[in-house]
Amino acid sequence: MEELIISNDNLKKIVHELLNNDCRVIGTTAENKFKEIESADELVLNPGSVPTGSSFKEYFFPKTEPLFFYKQNHSNVDLFDPIPDKSKIVVLGAKPCDAAALPIISKVFNWDYKDDLFNSRLDNSLIIGMSCHYSDEFCFCNDIGGSPENMKGSDVFLKPLADNYFKVTSITPKGEAFIKEYQKYFEKDLGKNKPIERKVENPKHFDYDKVKTWLDNNFENKFWDTAGEMCLGCAQCAFVCPTCHCFDIIDEQNGSCAGRRAKNWDACQFSLFTKHASGHNPRDNQEKRYRQRISHKFKYYMDKFDEVLCTGCGRCSRGCPVSLDILQVVEEINSLPENSNSIQ
Amino acid sequence: MEEKFEPKIAAFVCNWCTYTGADLAGTSRLKQEANARLIRVPCTGRIDPVFIIKAFENGADGVLISGCHPGDCHYNAGNFHARRRWILFKNLLDFIGIDSSRLYFSWVSASEGKKWVDIVDGVIDAVRIKGPFKQYKKMNKEIEIPVAVEEGVSVK
Amino acid sequence: MNELKQICKDALTEKKARFIIGYKEDKNKRVKPFIAKTPEDAEKLTFSHHAVNNLAVYLSRFKNNIDGKIGIVVKSCDLKAVTALIQENQIKRDDLFIIGVNCSGVVLDVAKEFNKDNTQIKCKYCQAKTPPYYDALAEESKEFEMPDDDQAELMAKIDKMTAEERLEFWNAEFEKCIKCYACRQVCPMCYCEKCIVEKSEPQWIDSSSTSRGNFSWNIIRAFHQAGRCIGCHECERACPMGIPLTLLTRKMGMVAFSEFGYRHGTSLTEPTLIGTYSTSDKEDFIK
Repeated sequence: MEELIISNDNLKKIVHELLNNDCRVIGTTAENKFKEIESADELVLNPGSVPTGSSFKEYFFPKTEPLFFYKQNHSNVDLFDPIPDKSKIVVLGAKPCDAAALPIISKVFNWDYKDDLFNSRLDNSLIIGMSCHYSDEFCFCNDIGGSPENMKGSDVFLKPLADNYFKVTSITPKGEAFIKEYQKYFEKDLGKNKPIERKVENPKHFDYDKVKTWLDNNFENKFWDTAGEMCLGCAQCAFVCPTCHCFDIIDEQNGSCAGRRAKNWDACQFSLFTKHASGHNPRDNQEKRYRQRISHKFKYYMDKFDEVLCTGCGRCSRGCPVSLDILQVVEEINSLPENSNSIQ
Repeated sequence: MEEKFEPKIAAFVCNWCTYTGADLAGTSRLKQEANARLIRVPCTGRIDPVFIIKAFENGADGVLISGCHPGDCHYNAGNFHARRRWILFKNLLDFIGIDSSRLYFSWVSASEGKKWVDIVDGVIDAVRIKGPFKQYKKMNKEIEIPVAVEEGVSVK
Repeated sequence: MNELKQICKDALTEKKARFIIGYKEDKNKRVKPFIAKTPEDAEKLTFSHHAVNNLAVYLSRFKNNIDGKIGIVVKSCDLKAVTALIQENQIKRDDLFIIGVNCSGVVLDVAKEFNKDNTQIKCKYCQAKTPPYYDALAEESKEFEMPDDDQAELMAKIDKMTAEERLEFWNAEFEKCIKCYACRQVCPMCYCEKCIVEKSEPQWIDSSSTSRGNFSWNIIRAFHQAGRCIGCHECERACPMGIPLTLLTRKMGMVAFSEFGYRHGTSLTEPTLIGTYSTSDKEDFIK
């Protein structure tokens, strides 16, 4: 297939057409936030920007969504399915660390139970990724199998070229179909626009295999007593994370005879997360809850789904109210002897 | 055909005074409108503002709170504590933009059956003029059964 | 700086404090909360314009297992939270070893240097650079140029809006809420063992992030802070969605002052605003 490029202006024209075709377009704005944009002018694609405050997972796995509605009908109860969300979603300007999260969480949503709500949104979506020209002390995508040019999770991938152009790569059949549909906006790559060089380096921080081995053998280790000591137990980290996917199911009433059952975001740092009906709480302090967070991300998910439940975007650390830095914690684990219990 | 609007009023009343006063109104066969649902609480000091929020959430168009006159509290100071809380709560509602004039307060003793009737009728009339509390009802949009679904086939 | 380290080192050596809750700088130069348990740990303690956290939030965690005094490094704004906790009988003055620091403002954006445009809102109306009481005092007092209090201007603007505009403003803000409860967790005054949103029989406040759930959570949070908020602005700093939460709590503090002449966290012995009453409280709104 021939090499294609697209100008920023033409990309905006596509967005304009998409919006006219009742497509939901999720893109980054001037405030560097993912937002459902209303006009193509709102879209700002900047490969050099810091990852947005929140990931775009809420458009696939919303913070709250109904599973069904109920209403009392004399002595019976009527149940109603919510209106299925069939609208097409196009995500524009996803960083590699954002896009890679979707195939990762897709595994848990398609494990024993197939989550139709998540799947239908994913099936109706098109992810346009973009290479990343940013790196700071919180970024670590390259330590866990990612990279600033990683195309995992994207259907179409853009690489910035000089003069506001992007080099276009289609990765999936969905991506190819998209390029075909809007082919009038794409141009042949004649090599006139030079690629913009990435000016920042991504240093190597830790050896994932070593960290995994340590986690395998050190569930009970003194390290955990201090690792999460300062954690306050909010869910900022989990809710801005592109891969955190835990949810809670609750019933909510509206008036006296009707209501809904809803699926809401939940987080392992909440004390209520593991509390049993009996009152017993197996993770009864923040240190244990923090161990769970690290272990789930770097061990359990790998054991079960062969993926690291983290893309290295660094959002959790950038936003943490007490500056708990997941990278520093993992680096510290990396520096510990394999079985440090013996030298306690 | 437009249905006539009948307001729903949630009335939180103290067991020791207003509730008995309302009872007196009944035994004296005083006529009053039937839009107020009385919720008996042990003292106005028991009324957490979350009760008021919950009443609005569940469709109340107005909330009436009534207890013992200052100095008459069965527990000495419950109504004084409550009064302080309401001053703060009303200010908060105003700052957020919730119509705090839908919130009514009164002191009605056990012997003031007539005063109770006047207050309840006054509140109901005032809320009837204000109309339904649309501001708050709008907030139920995610929890309500979508009309398109309700009209379609229900699953069982 | 050596002074703070020395004070803490001495306190730990002489067992004036069992441990000290303070700040340390990590390898990325981020200043973060840290607990110094040994005199050697005290070497890591630091204080700067980047020491934004209100460490009093950690006090409630240790209040039940006191075996010696808790040392805590506090700015004057943080000390109000300590005072308030003592006032509300959450902790005893005698169980604390308070290391006050002279503060000349803290940053808004921790990634940037401190300057006039990068100052926390609370510093813009800070009344005391030196904590009013302490067991030891560290850091030199430095003058700094106080920027304009733009939050007060915004508040005045909101006051001038019509009720509908105000509701629209707050609905747009509350809509962003994702119920991560960072505002609650960083708040030193939110020490309830079971929060009202966690009470599920009945569920007083919806746990969903719907319009209704977000609205009732934020309104009740603000009410529970009415006259109790000490103005450390930690909730707003922690909020990942950028909701201007302190507008509400600061407003309620102003109401507490204008209606009752009360300011929380300024006296160790005065009864709390909600914990007391006056027979002359206004009642023009009660029929």
